[in-house]
Amino acid sequence: MIRFDQVSKRYATGQEALSQLSFHVPPGEMVFVTGHSGAGKSTLLKLLALIERPSRGAVTLDGQNLGTVRARGVPRLRRKLGMVFQDHRLLLDRSVFANVELPLVIAGVPPEERAKRVRAALDKVGLLAYEKQPPALLSTGEQQRVGIARAIVAKPALLIADEPTGNLDPQLSVEIMQLFADFQQVGTTVVIASHDLMLIKRMKKRVIVLDHGKLIADLAAAEVA
Amino acid sequence: MSARRRDVAAAARAEPAARPASRGRLRAWREQHAWCFAASVRRLAERPLGTLLTVAVMGFALALPLAFYLLLGNVQRLGAALGETQAISVFLKADRDAQAAQALAARLRGRVDVAAVALKTPQQGLQELAALEGFAPALDALGSNNPLPYVLLVEPRPELARAAVTTLVETLRTLPEADLVQDDGAWRERLGALVGVARRAVQLLAVLLALAALLVVGNTVRLDIRSRADEIAVLQLVGASAAFVRRPYLYEGIWYGLCSGAFAALLVLLLELALAGPVARLAGSYGGQLSFAGIALPVLLMVPLLAAALGWLGARLASARHLGATLPR
Repeated sequence: MIRFDQVSKRYATGQEALSQLSFHVPPGEMVFVTGHSGAGKSTLLKLLALIERPSRGAVTLDGQNLGTVRARGVPRLRRKLGMVFQDHRLLLDRSVFANVELPLVIAGVPPEERAKRVRAALDKVGLLAYEKQPPALLSTGEQQRVGIARAIVAKPALLIADEPTGNLDPQLSVEIMQLFADFQQVGTTVVIASHDLMLIKRMKKRVIVLDHGKLIADLAAAEVA
Repeated sequence: MSARRRDVAAAARAEPAARPASRGRLRAWREQHAWCFAASVRRLAERPLGTLLTVAVMGFALALPLAFYLLLGNVQRLGAALGETQAISVFLKADRDAQAAQALAARLRGRVDVAAVALKTPQQGLQELAALEGFAPALDALGSNNPLPYVLLVEPRPELARAAVTTLVETLRTLPEADLVQDDGAWRERLGALVGVARRAVQLLAVLLALAALLVVGNTVRLDIRSRADEIAVLQLVGASAAFVRRPYLYEGIWYGLCSGAFAALLVLLLELALAGPVARLAGSYGGQLSFAGIALPVLLMVPLLAAALGWLGARLASARHLGATLPR
């Protein structure tokens, strides 16, 4: 599903965010990317969503070399993956329903079908009762779950999340991670950047550890204890 | 729970195969437009005062050239009402009688540069004056004395150049029978030239004010795009194409144009209404020959459409300039 081949990323500021990173994620796997802040976790996710492009090396997603995707093709690529952000990135002037509906509108799904799928996604994250509310009235954990519903509503094959539990207390964090694990259960590939080692250990999934942009450990699910 | 998971998984797998080709794409296009249309209306309704002000400024800018166009059209009609032909009036000396007048008319008809000569007797002149409002009492005072001379209305050949007409006028002035030669054509030509200058001025003004309207829309849309940078970023992150992100702003521009065009048309209609009464009174004093003409309805209906096109263009330019910076690399 995902292949990084000798990928390096140097920002215009001269900062080397990733250096010669290589790994492979098969379809349907759930992977944590961890490391202290500045290790390159976010950069790795940005390369997957084509928010950034690598300075050297190749990123392959679902058999497609992202280096060949031109600017016009970027939106189409992004529609193939679901993204969850630490600060949830919701439209605060729209209802929960409208927020979750957005990817389906962009994909051109008709309204009846949209309503069905939005409700299914909200039901999945346990927020069906809040569909008419504006996100601002929800708690941080609920807002994050709206963000997750938006990421999965178009049924992407790949779900990526950048510190999805960064603003949540431990109890809520476990619930959110469990939600991601549920999506893996139905065949979605999941990549989560997180620095919460306690939580990662609890989840017992594959862990990629970065330090100063280099891969220093790649632990299979069975090795995580 | 697990049953639903399997449903979701099955649906996810079935999804790519279930997508029809071109009909689906058309439907998708329609759905996207419906959403952007609704989004644009919501944005304008969210800040009614700002929307109203923008529409008013654009509306006034568009109404101004229309008002000038209206006045110009009526000045032209006034000129036309004062005489269709370029007739030269030759007032004969008071002592010349009907016979002399007819002889001179026959002689002038023989000239190659004259198309026609009409004879107006003093009685006809008196009747014409009597028909004009306000002259009747003065004519009554004259009693049976008719001080009007015979008048020959000499019409030059229409293909004649202005210089040749002037030569003809000079020749007529040298006639011993002629007391006064009045060249209406020269006056009309001067009015025509004046109207021509005014018309060009109105055209330039219209272009300048249309440009101003374009800037107003462009600036409004620019501010709107800037205030919605977060929303635009979210749209782009969830895979919206540049066209999708741009579309609500284009609709917004069209709305501004349509509303301000309608407002401008309304202003001009009010102007016509306000002028119709006084002009009718003025026309009445000139014997009712003149009537006030409004702008033709098709022209008035075109105004909102053209303004909408202008609004679209303004929004397109602004969004090209300001969305480019936030587009995904």
